[in-house]
Amino acid sequence: MSILIYTLMLFPLLGSLVIFMMPKTRSELFRPIAIFLSIIPFGLCLYLFSNSKSKGSFVDIHTIDWIKSYGISLTFGISGMSLLLLFLTAILMLLSFLSVSEKYSQSKGFIGSILVLHFAVNGVFLSGDLLSLFIFFEALLIPMYFLMGIWGGENRRYATIKFIIYTVFGSVFIFIGTVYAGVISYGVTGRLALDFTTLSSLSFTSEQSRILFLMFTFGFLIKVPIFPLHTWLPDAHVEAPTAGSILLAGVLLKVGAYGILRVSIPFFTEGFLEYKFIIAVLSVIGIIYGAIVAIAQIDIKRLIAYSSVSHMGFVMLGISAGNYLSLEGAIIQMVNHGLTTGALFMLVGFLYERRHTRRISEFGGIKATMPKYAAIFLFCSFASIGLPGLNGFVGEFMILMGSFATYKVLSGIGAFGVVLAAIYMLWAYQRMFTGEISIKENKELVDLDSKEMISVVPLLVLMLFIGIYPSFIESYVTQDALLISEIIDIFSGRLN
Amino acid sequence: MSTISQAIGFNLIVISPTLVLLATALILLFCTITIETSDFVKKSITFGGILLTIFSVFLKFGLFATDGVSSYFTEKILLDEFSLFGNVLISLILLFNFSSIWNTSTELKDKRTEAIILTLMSASGFMLMVDSESFMMLFIGLEIGSISLYALAGINRGDLLSNEAALKYFLLGSLASCVLVYGVALIYISLSISGFYDSAIAIPYIGAENVPLTTFIGFLFVIVGLLFKVAAAPFQSWAPDVYHGSPTGYVGYMASVAKVASFLVIGRLCMVSLRYVMDNFELFFLAVVIISIFVGSFFATIQADMKRLIAYSGVIQSGFILSGIVSGVNGTSASLFYLTAYTIQLIGIFTIFTIISGKLSSDFSIENLSGLFVENKFLTICFSIFMLGLAGIPLTSGFISKFILITNLWSYENYVLVFILMLSTVAGFYFYLRPIWVAAIDKPEAPVEQIALKRSEVLSLSVLAFATIFFGLLPDSLINLSRWVIQNYL
Repeated sequence: MSILIYTLMLFPLLGSLVIFMMPKTRSELFRPIAIFLSIIPFGLCLYLFSNSKSKGSFVDIHTIDWIKSYGISLTFGISGMSLLLLFLTAILMLLSFLSVSEKYSQSKGFIGSILVLHFAVNGVFLSGDLLSLFIFFEALLIPMYFLMGIWGGENRRYATIKFIIYTVFGSVFIFIGTVYAGVISYGVTGRLALDFTTLSSLSFTSEQSRILFLMFTFGFLIKVPIFPLHTWLPDAHVEAPTAGSILLAGVLLKVGAYGILRVSIPFFTEGFLEYKFIIAVLSVIGIIYGAIVAIAQIDIKRLIAYSSVSHMGFVMLGISAGNYLSLEGAIIQMVNHGLTTGALFMLVGFLYERRHTRRISEFGGIKATMPKYAAIFLFCSFASIGLPGLNGFVGEFMILMGSFATYKVLSGIGAFGVVLAAIYMLWAYQRMFTGEISIKENKELVDLDSKEMISVVPLLVLMLFIGIYPSFIESYVTQDALLISEIIDIFSGRLN
Repeated sequence: MSTISQAIGFNLIVISPTLVLLATALILLFCTITIETSDFVKKSITFGGILLTIFSVFLKFGLFATDGVSSYFTEKILLDEFSLFGNVLISLILLFNFSSIWNTSTELKDKRTEAIILTLMSASGFMLMVDSESFMMLFIGLEIGSISLYALAGINRGDLLSNEAALKYFLLGSLASCVLVYGVALIYISLSISGFYDSAIAIPYIGAENVPLTTFIGFLFVIVGLLFKVAAAPFQSWAPDVYHGSPTGYVGYMASVAKVASFLVIGRLCMVSLRYVMDNFELFFLAVVIISIFVGSFFATIQADMKRLIAYSGVIQSGFILSGIVSGVNGTSASLFYLTAYTIQLIGIFTIFTIISGKLSSDFSIENLSGLFVENKFLTICFSIFMLGLAGIPLTSGFISKFILITNLWSYENYVLVFILMLSTVAGFYFYLRPIWVAAIDKPEAPVEQIALKRSEVLSLSVLAFATIFFGLLPDSLINLSRWVIQNYL
């Protein structure tokens, strides 16, 4: 199984090398090769789903000695939660290669950067120690910098720099936290052992635990992003090219929440118990604030970006409640949000290629000219709102159920986020798709072609599948959620 | 005779790198003033001289294997790990800068050989400086090295900026040398010690609390003189102007060689001479580090000239390196790693600047980089690697050097310093990524020509870029080397 993990991680990197080596004249081959290159990680994920071992919580651990003189080694492994996120990454990569327009698919740099991004994301989800987690977390920035910088929109310079500076500012704290944890571990084990097994065996004092929790969580929360730290997100989403937005929303936001679940809570639980209420309050503010701001948007991409703030608020609320049900809901909601928002960004991208505008007021009544598009958009909107029977409902329901046990008032307020979601999504739908066509260009819009249908329909199938049969995805998060909630229970029992 | 030479420790191998460089310089001088020699012969002589220098460094390793740490020439010249490390680095700096130095010098018309001679002279001076045991030898080495650099800065006589750079470098540099030599005098009159190991023996002997204040002031002056050479704030004011004004082809060499030599001497001072009295200097060093970080970060963000930007980034990096050296033994080893990684990136960046701009020209505004991606993809990739290395992105040597440095600082409980250093890297991402943006992302407005590279340039850039990535992925060898240097002081 170890070979599978390394293949999953390194294959996209090899793929990017292949793309970079190819002659420029054969640009028509880039897309088929990229699709082929991302089918393999996708297939590997499917294979791993069938392996019962992968349901466990961080199993199949492998260690590589890296810097011997400091006793630093890199560790890799897999768990149910990582597998789901890896699968999400793989399918979004595959579909974004399918969906990108000619302009991008013929560019070596674009395809290559996405593959490097895939490598870094897989690295984050597979890493089993703090140092490799940090390395991949930081390495994400480079492909993202080029993707947004070269292929972004008008205002890309501002958005890219803002994105980079925000993330780096956060990762500085993760870095110092890693160093701090390493020095503590050095005092106990005699080497800079940062792997998860060693960390869970170290007993941090409550002060250390609190400091470390704050450092790691601050860095990850910027990436999530949580309410006062979210301002990079709308800019980045709007300016990034379509594929960039899909991956940013679908995958990169998950990296932050994943880090909190994988590192901050299990190892620095005392800190978590100390500060979880603050996180919960901020998440609820994020849910409501994101939704209200989304209502007021005139740009559909910006609207979806703010809806991400709201949805990720739900995820963080579930995490901060910290019981089994809410944690499970949070992990499932991470996957759901990736699928739904990925699909929505893809759809917006299709529309933008046709009309070169994203202003909601530029549309109106286009259901008549694009019936298939309208239907799919409505489907995704419902999934995003959380209509029962679709994926969004499962996650948000579990989160609200779970967090109600811990924070009655907060989760009550948070539930209004669902209502607000219905307002912003359906109102946007109404303005864009229903009524008479008032603008001339909209009369000549072409509906989705087969290529576009192929790239978006798999996501719809998955949304429906998770909506009506959630126990499949649940079986993969059970172990992780159980473990984390047990750790939290043990620590809160010890404190009381 | 042999007994006398044994008694005074006469050994030519110890100073062989210095001698070889001097001899090469003199042969070149001879060729220039007497017989007409073609460029090819001169180039062969220079290159042969550099290779011979590297070979003589190997000889020194052989001597070290038999003799161990020892001093020669009546305790004037020292052979220890620091000096060997310095010899290796300086000879490699010379080797990797050879192509830019030579190509720049060929544009100088009648003064072409002079520039080469000055370069070799300065290298021999800095070699002597890292080899020195007595403070007077330190001063002599520093002066031989620096005076050649002053001349090198102003060698493009027609250029006003170059003249300004040379004059500024000379005036401020000689002031710093005055301070240094005054410090040496103060140390000598207060304790009658004149060398690194003298002080290492004398200070614990009389007890740290009995050391007169004059000695401390003397050491402080010596350190200030050296900090001037590494451009640590508040002694940095010359660096941006000198980097900016000097012919681009020489700046990579000027910046790296003086830094390496001075930092190794500072390292030896802190490790050997002041080992038991470092507490007295803690506040001073802390202030220098913090001021360097702030001044460098602040001014680097507002620079429009790339050479000035690199100069201010050098101020920050000096702060990083110094913070490790003064914090303790393991910190010093981390700093040596940092110094090597930084030198590699610095040389790489200036090689690229030399190729892009006219080699003698002074100005190098950030717009000169625009369209680099169209002009030459290889250069852009190398440039991005070096800049990302300076920023400290993982998978480059810059990350590893920051990681081990910060780890060591944290284990010495310098928490404030760690936060200040790390926050400066956030600013670093802003000003290191901006040139990459201009070079790789922005579309050039005017049509651009392809840049053709010489084979030597491709080779040295590939090696430097490869080293940056290699030490980022497999840093063990260099870490072990840097730990070997400080092994005696653990």
